Amino acid sequence: MSGPSTLSRTESLFWDLITAPEGVRPGLDALVRDGRAAQGALEEMIAGDDRLPAAERLDIYANMYFFRLLDCLREDYPRLATAVGEDRFHNLCTDYLLTHPSGHPSLRYLGRRLPEFLAGHVVGRESGCLVDLARLEWTRADLFDAADARALTREDLARLSQEAAGDLPLRPVPAFRLLRLDHDAPRLWRELRDREAAGPETPGEGGAATGTETAEATWGAGAANAARLGEETDGARCASGHVHDDRPAPPLPRQRRRKTAVRVWRREFTVYHRAVEDEEAALLELLTEGTTLGQVAQRLSAGRSQAKATEALGRVLQAWIDAGLLAVEPR
Amino acid sequence: MRPASLGHGVGLRREHFERVLSAPTRIDWFEVISENFMADGGRPVDVLDQVRARYPIVLHGVSLSIGSTDPLNKPYLDRLAALARRTEPAWVSDHLCWAGVGGHYAHDLLPLPYTEEALRHVVGRVDQVQEHLGRPIALENVSSYVTFRQSSMPEWEFLAEIARRSGCGILLDVNNIYVSSRNHGFDPRAYVEGIPKDCVWQFHLAGHADKGKYLLDTHDHPVPDPVWELYALAVERFGAVSALVEWDDRLPDFERLEQESLRARQIEAGILHPATAGASHPKAAAGEAAP
Repeated sequence: MSGPSTLSRTESLFWDLITAPEGVRPGLDALVRDGRAAQGALEEMIAGDDRLPAAERLDIYANMYFFRLLDCLREDYPRLATAVGEDRFHNLCTDYLLTHPSGHPSLRYLGRRLPEFLAGHVVGRESGCLVDLARLEWTRADLFDAADARALTREDLARLSQEAAGDLPLRPVPAFRLLRLDHDAPRLWRELRDREAAGPETPGEGGAATGTETAEATWGAGAANAARLGEETDGARCASGHVHDDRPAPPLPRQRRRKTAVRVWRREFTVYHRAVEDEEAALLELLTEGTTLGQVAQRLSAGRSQAKATEALGRVLQAWIDAGLLAVEPR
Repeated sequence: MRPASLGHGVGLRREHFERVLSAPTRIDWFEVISENFMADGGRPVDVLDQVRARYPIVLHGVSLSIGSTDPLNKPYLDRLAALARRTEPAWVSDHLCWAGVGGHYAHDLLPLPYTEEALRHVVGRVDQVQEHLGRPIALENVSSYVTFRQSSMPEWEFLAEIARRSGCGILLDVNNIYVSSRNHGFDPRAYVEGIPKDCVWQFHLAGHADKGKYLLDTHDHPVPDPVWELYALAVERFGAVSALVEWDDRLPDFERLEQESLRARQIEAGILHPATAGASHPKAAAGEAAP
């Protein structure tokens, strides 16, 4: 048997038309120009009527396709959406979906390639800090449903003899990542969150202090699949084509490059992130490779008196244990 | 074989997690979206385990893509099988539709042409899925906005024939029947009467939006009267069948959702046990507020 089945041809044409960025009719015109469909292909496939012609019927699916995925990306990248403004985010998602349509049965993975896509996109090239913001946001979304693990507690540590403590394997919980960024994305994240909290009229540049700060996620991160797949759509927009508005777009955030290490982790059901100093970042890297308490102590003893090294180890361990960042069992 | 009725349930949505876990409900069972719980850990998994410990659940998927001409997604089926083993649902369901092609997903419920070719294609894949999961599945009719010229049979005949040939159950979405009947101009009662009595495992009830030229399946409104009336007709035909209210957007508080489920219970009781239930047929109770 040769050639695709009738069903296969029907699904392919249907798909091409509902995912066309400018809508069904322009999508068909493009297919005709490329020699991939006949001018009458749409009406041959779909029966329309006076109330709803074939193209309008298919446009219902085209709108649902785009706006559902746009909503999902907005849910995974709320700060990025705030930073670039509604129209720019819409257009960025249009471009992204044309390059990276969903390839996974769950919406949860739709946005995983957005940071790398943004790096090559005009918006990301204009404002490099947004790429790092996107990396931070995706990591947060990704850890939301990472595997659980029992976190090491102070009591666990207290039960160990001093000799045994040195050999204690130290590993992070599965829901942990260390990010090495070129910008202070945690600061930008915080400023944008404050701007969202203050409402749309507040000027964008906040006066937040630099440095490290634990930031808390609200429950609800991570896009959910739904049984209902119809979406309320904005009638002023055409399918997934770019939108252009007379209103001036908000200025893109500007940040000087600044190497920033960020630890991102989930404790119980909440995702946190925190910018960390170079020494802690190096220790966390050691941790992700698999280390022991003794090796961490040895690393901290370099250039310190014994008393200072012991104090530094206690401080680091306490911070990691309090954060729920250390796993009891090796992964 | 048609499973025994679980009673009256609602779709479990994350906005209601805390309420459902913190106090008893008047809900008999919950339906969960399978894909939202195919996670390695985190809150969804924890909540599902807790809910399952207290209630029967049904796994309801949106991405099986049973009608797609792409190969079945084996990793997805593996995760679904693992989820089913872990949660032991009363049954597993998905939609009679396709969700994507060419390796891509629309995350939408796309309609099939009702042809013999599509029928054979779907039946073959249902066989594969049921074998992979080691259990029968139920398929749900979807709301649709297009009619394929090549269709050679009405939707209900297509659905019934798939159930007959594959042995799968039918999740009869009463709201979807109503939405499609308005969008395509058929009699929704003919749809209900065209479905064999012993194939229906479950009903779905939901609200929709009137967009003027068509109805859109939005799940963001209460169940409207015409859907309640069609539900009553379905109960008359199919008897006691597990019924579930879906509400996904503009979610009300849990108690309001619970009321919708209790109304379904009352309608069913009014038809199946009229002597004890009082007047609760939707026509008899026209204008009456939900209990």
